[in-house]
Amino acid sequence: MMLRYALARIAVALALIWAVVTIVFLVIHVVPGDPAELLLAQGGVAPDPAAVAELREKLGLDQPILTQYLAYVCGLLRGDLGSSLLDDHSVAEEIALHLPRTLELILAAGLIATMLGLPLGTIAALRTGRPIDRILSAAAGLGLSVPVFVVGTLAVLVFAQKLRLVPAGGFVPFTRDPAQHLLLLLMPAATIAVGLGAVVFRMTRTSVLEVLRRDYVRTAHAKGLSARRIVMHHVIRNALIPVVTVLALHMGSLLGGTVLVEFVFNWPGLSGDLVRAVEQRDYPEVVGIVLVISVVLVIINLVVDLLYAVIDPRVRHG
Amino acid sequence: MAGSATHRLYLSAAVVAGIIAIALAAPLLPLADPVKMDVPARLALPSSAHWLGQDEYGRDVLSRVIWGARVSLAVAFLSAMFAGVIGTTLGLLGGYARGLVELLTVRSTEAIVSFPPILLALLVVTLMGPGAVTLVVALTILYAPGYTRVAFAATLATRGLDYVTAQEALGARPARILTRTILPNVAPPLLVQFSLTVAAAMVLESGLSFLGLGVVPPAPSWGLMIRGARSTMEQAPWLLLWPCLALTGTILAFNLLCDSLRDVLDPRGSVSEIPWLKRAAARIFPSVGPAPAPSSLLSVEALTIEIDSPTGPVRPVRDLSLTLAPGETLALVGESGSGKTLSGLALLGLLPASMRIVKGRVLFVDRAGRPHDLAQLPEADMRRLRGDEIAMVFQDPGSSLNPVHRIGDQVAEAIRVHRDVTGKEAAASATKLLGDVGLPDPRQRARAYPHELSGGQRQRSMIASAVANGPRLLIADEPTTALDVTIQAQILDLLAKLKTKGDMGLVFITHNLAVVAEVADRVCVMYAGEIVEEGPVAEVFAEPRHPYTAALMASAPEGDRAELTAIPGSVPPPHALPAGCTFAPRCTRAVDSCHSIKPAFVEAGPGRASRCLRWREVA
Repeated sequence: MMLRYALARIAVALALIWAVVTIVFLVIHVVPGDPAELLLAQGGVAPDPAAVAELREKLGLDQPILTQYLAYVCGLLRGDLGSSLLDDHSVAEEIALHLPRTLELILAAGLIATMLGLPLGTIAALRTGRPIDRILSAAAGLGLSVPVFVVGTLAVLVFAQKLRLVPAGGFVPFTRDPAQHLLLLLMPAATIAVGLGAVVFRMTRTSVLEVLRRDYVRTAHAKGLSARRIVMHHVIRNALIPVVTVLALHMGSLLGGTVLVEFVFNWPGLSGDLVRAVEQRDYPEVVGIVLVISVVLVIINLVVDLLYAVIDPRVRHG
Repeated sequence: MAGSATHRLYLSAAVVAGIIAIALAAPLLPLADPVKMDVPARLALPSSAHWLGQDEYGRDVLSRVIWGARVSLAVAFLSAMFAGVIGTTLGLLGGYARGLVELLTVRSTEAIVSFPPILLALLVVTLMGPGAVTLVVALTILYAPGYTRVAFAATLATRGLDYVTAQEALGARPARILTRTILPNVAPPLLVQFSLTVAAAMVLESGLSFLGLGVVPPAPSWGLMIRGARSTMEQAPWLLLWPCLALTGTILAFNLLCDSLRDVLDPRGSVSEIPWLKRAAARIFPSVGPAPAPSSLLSVEALTIEIDSPTGPVRPVRDLSLTLAPGETLALVGESGSGKTLSGLALLGLLPASMRIVKGRVLFVDRAGRPHDLAQLPEADMRRLRGDEIAMVFQDPGSSLNPVHRIGDQVAEAIRVHRDVTGKEAAASATKLLGDVGLPDPRQRARAYPHELSGGQRQRSMIASAVANGPRLLIADEPTTALDVTIQAQILDLLAKLKTKGDMGLVFITHNLAVVAEVADRVCVMYAGEIVEEGPVAEVFAEPRHPYTAALMASAPEGDRAELTAIPGSVPPPHALPAGCTFAPRCTRAVDSCHSIKPAFVEAGPGRASRCLRWREVA
């Protein structure tokens, strides 16, 4: 049963990846104007036609659109994401180096957010309307409203510049100095966790309140279970189901959040490459990174779907 | 609750309106030129000419904050509007036409949602170059799918409604139906979506500007201001404060507006109570006198339940008195709204938090022969009785079992709370119990999840966990109502079989007279929160001594009676009870005095009681 569910989800994920690949291709070709001309245009000056023609040939834009599409898909299947327009380095290699750093950041942020949001959300739900609930809910409302780069910039100002507790940013490989690596990871991860934790908190609170009203919670009371056991055993697991779903839905904006956070904290992840590539209009690199991040996102969603089936046995039977 | 939500809506709407008004009025305000540089006065502190000081190029910060609001809001509103028009149109079309159109409109936009928003925006920026126009294009592409989804879902929900079908039948053109009938109905969720989009677009606009990929300098924008202030953070940290505050405050105001809009438009979402958990607090009134040791198992005296309502407290159950001997089955019968389920929950101390017992006693004698007043028992003691001495089976086994736990574990859990046994022993007992209640192949069923069992099997499992500890008293609340007729009979047989094994008392709550006749020794007929008749089942059915019992029997679709008499009218709600007899308005035998005098619950023959002024004449 579980296997069949897993295979079905994997098939959907593969279809989504194909859709992502196609959309990226279409965005490049559907946005009005010739990409080569757009890329070479500087400050409204019309580019040299010879240069445009050369770039068109280099990017394969002179081919029929279907040929271009096939060449592009075939390249992807071979793991070829093209090479940078600036210095011809392989886009795939650069991504392979920087992607793990971005994933590490997201993972750490997700961990902090869940560790804060889940217990606090449950507490707030069990104490609805009391001062603790009001305070936590107001804090979450604020956490949702502060843009991630505002949190990051203010964190640098307070913790790095004024209090001098942590470095303002940077990166040291884990293998060289694990302690320093984790110290540098702390601030950017905590910054992302502010908004994400608020999302987890809100979802958990709503979800726990919802589950508390279910008949099977009444059954648990009728069995004479303690309030503690009812919450731990009957409420939280059921309440987790929508929380996991929402977390998955927010993975997208979370990955987006890393773009700004990596910039603020000088964290040399994939997103930094992306911003640089966008600034320099290094279009093969932009396309490569957008593709890879989207595919990673699809894979994370797949994992969440499978996790979902572990929590809720009903899902396996679709 | 609704009042305060509306209040919050007005408040947040006023703040948002204020921000928009200031932004719109920027050209009229006596502000310094937001792009005029004054390099010698760079990073100057606030002065009478420059209230918030000057930035890294000596530009007036106050002026830049206010002009920045214009840029941020304009980009956000324009893209939210374009996305709204495009997305809604696609969603309406997809929802109305379905088929291929749905695939092209709705499903294709869903693929966009699988992209991280900022990445798609960056892709557009690469191709179009930075600037306000690019931002609007990117944000429109990003946020249109949100509207499409909302409009699609709402259209699907609306188009099935009768009045839309009626218009189609009248020959109205699809375009007319879409714009005149469906659009107004999907407007509320779209309004929420709009304010959500504006807030999200502002976050993204400021983020891109902060990266230097959004609004092009020297135009003022909050994101750009934060970017600029960041470079002079060492010397002038206060410069960070103003744009950060303006941005966060505006987004907060929009988010609050969204939340309260949603609360007002969807009252279902507001949370007003949690059941049971709050009940742990000890009761205020001390026990009245020593409890007598009755020979009966359960003796309820004048139980009255109160609930707070907007118009003051009302009492859905009044003066309920009944007794139950060990081994006896008492049926509590009545229409929905008669208070029979509340009475059952009150016996177990499981009333919703909004309700409380305000009067009366519920005396229960435990296995050791000690009497307890369940109406005043502290929660901790009550919990020890629940599931052990007193158990309950609920109406809907589908929702009363926890979907994520195995059946065997749910039965074993009831044993482990009250008995000092190992997990293995409890599991073995659970399997045996499941066999006892007639589940085929109990060893395998114990490992099943609730959704893998049939309705009858689920109710058998519920009963297994209820009788797991050999309770003295079992309360069954409509245990067969959710089941098929053939399964109903099997469950009734099971309950009867369990009864023969010991001296367990059973309170059987039902609206079904045929079931009463089959299982019960005695019956209490409830009407509008009161017991109106009580007596041995055979006698009551043969010769009812309250007109309501007679009417109920006449309306029951049982037996070979040719005529079916529905009782005219309905049960009066607890906040609008008639002055005299509660049944008088529906009673065919009522006389004038019935409408003015409240009848007492009086003895009506040996072992019989009735709450009717005229029970002698009725009989």
